[in-house]
Amino acid sequence: MGARRVLLIAVLAAAVLIGFVAVQNLASSAVYYLTPTEARDRHVATGTAARLGGQVETGSLRYDPQTRDLRFVLTDGTTRVSVIGTGAPPSLLREGAGAVVEGTFASDGTFRATQVIAKHDEQYAPPSPGATPSHQTP
Amino acid sequence: MIETTAAPFPTIRVRPWLGRLAIAGSLIATFMALVWAPTDAVQGDVYRIIYVHVPLAWLAYLAFFVVFLASLGWLWTKRPWFDALAVASAEVGVLFTGMFIVAGSIWAKPTWGVWWTWDPRLVTTAVMFMMYVGYLLLRSLSTDFSRRATRAAVLGVIAVIDIPIVHLSVLWMNSLHQLPTVLRAGGSPALDASMGMTLGICVIAFTLVYFAFLAERMSIELDRQRRMFEARA
Repeated sequence: MGARRVLLIAVLAAAVLIGFVAVQNLASSAVYYLTPTEARDRHVATGTAARLGGQVETGSLRYDPQTRDLRFVLTDGTTRVSVIGTGAPPSLLREGAGAVVEGTFASDGTFRATQVIAKHDEQYAPPSPGATPSHQTP
Repeated sequence: MIETTAAPFPTIRVRPWLGRLAIAGSLIATFMALVWAPTDAVQGDVYRIIYVHVPLAWLAYLAFFVVFLASLGWLWTKRPWFDALAVASAEVGVLFTGMFIVAGSIWAKPTWGVWWTWDPRLVTTAVMFMMYVGYLLLRSLSTDFSRRATRAAVLGVIAVIDIPIVHLSVLWMNSLHQLPTVLRAGGSPALDASMGMTLGICVIAFTLVYFAFLAERMSIELDRQRRMFEARA
C-alpha cells in the first residue's frame, strides 16, 4: 500500500507539473522578459530586478574598452530605453539585432544592466561573397 | 499474470548492419557538418553545432513519442515487448536530451553570452528531461514486472504532452531562444539550401544511431525478460 501511494503521488505530481508548465506557457503573466513598452505600462519600479528584451537601436551602440563603459538604446519600435552596462558585450550584439538585458531601472530612467545577452534570429545563410561573418567584424 | 515469454528481437541479422550504417552515416554527417556546409553570415563557424543540437532534439522528441506509443501498447495488450520498447526508447531519449542541452549550452556561451538562462524553451526542455529521468526512476520503485510496466506506461502517456509544449514555447512567449528555423508554419525553412541538406543528412545519421541504440537496448531487455519468465516457470 505504501508503494501504491507513492506511485499515485508521483503520477499526480507529474500531471500537475505538466499542467503547470502548460498553463504558464499560455498565460502572458509568466514572462521571460518585458518589452520596453510593457515595462513602461507596468510601471516597473526603480531598483526592482527586471529583464527587458528588444532591439538595439541603430546608431546607439557604444563601447569604450578603456572605461569598459557600454551604452545602447533598447527599443521595441514604440518605447526606447537607454541601457548602461559594464564590460564587453557579446560579439553578436549588433545594432538592429535583438538583445535581452537583466538589471534594474535607475531613478533617471536609464536601465543599469548587470547582464547583456545577444539574441539572434532563426535565419541561417552563408555570407555574401567577399563579406566576413558579422561576429568577426568589430 | 504474464504467460508468454518474449521472443528475441527479430533483427539478429539486422542489428550489426544498423550499427555499421549508423557509423557510416555519422562519418558522412561529420564531414558535411564540419567541412562541406558553408559558414554562417552572422555566427561564423560556431553555428555548426546546429548539426548536432537540432537532430538530437528531434530524435529525442521521436524517442519520447515512441515511449508514448509503446506505453499505449503495453496498457492495451499487456505484451512485454512493448515495455521493452518503452524503456529502451526512454533511455535513448534521456541520453539525447542531455546531450542536446549540453550542446545548446556550448552554443549559447559564444553567441548569446550566457551558458544558461531560464527562458521558456530552456525551462520546458529541462522539465521534459526531468520528467523522463523520473520515468526511469519510477521503474525502479517496483520489482513486479506487470506493476512496473503499468506505472511507467501511465507516466509515458502523460509526459508526451510536454513535447509540443517545448516546441511551441518560443511561439507562445517572449523568449531568448529564436523561433523555429525548420519546423514552422508558413514559409519554407529559414536556412540556406546547402545547410538544409547538411541538416537533413545529419538527421538521417542520428536516426540510424537512435535505431542502433534502440535495437541493442531492446535486445538486452528482451533477453532479461526471457530469463525472468523462464526462471518463474
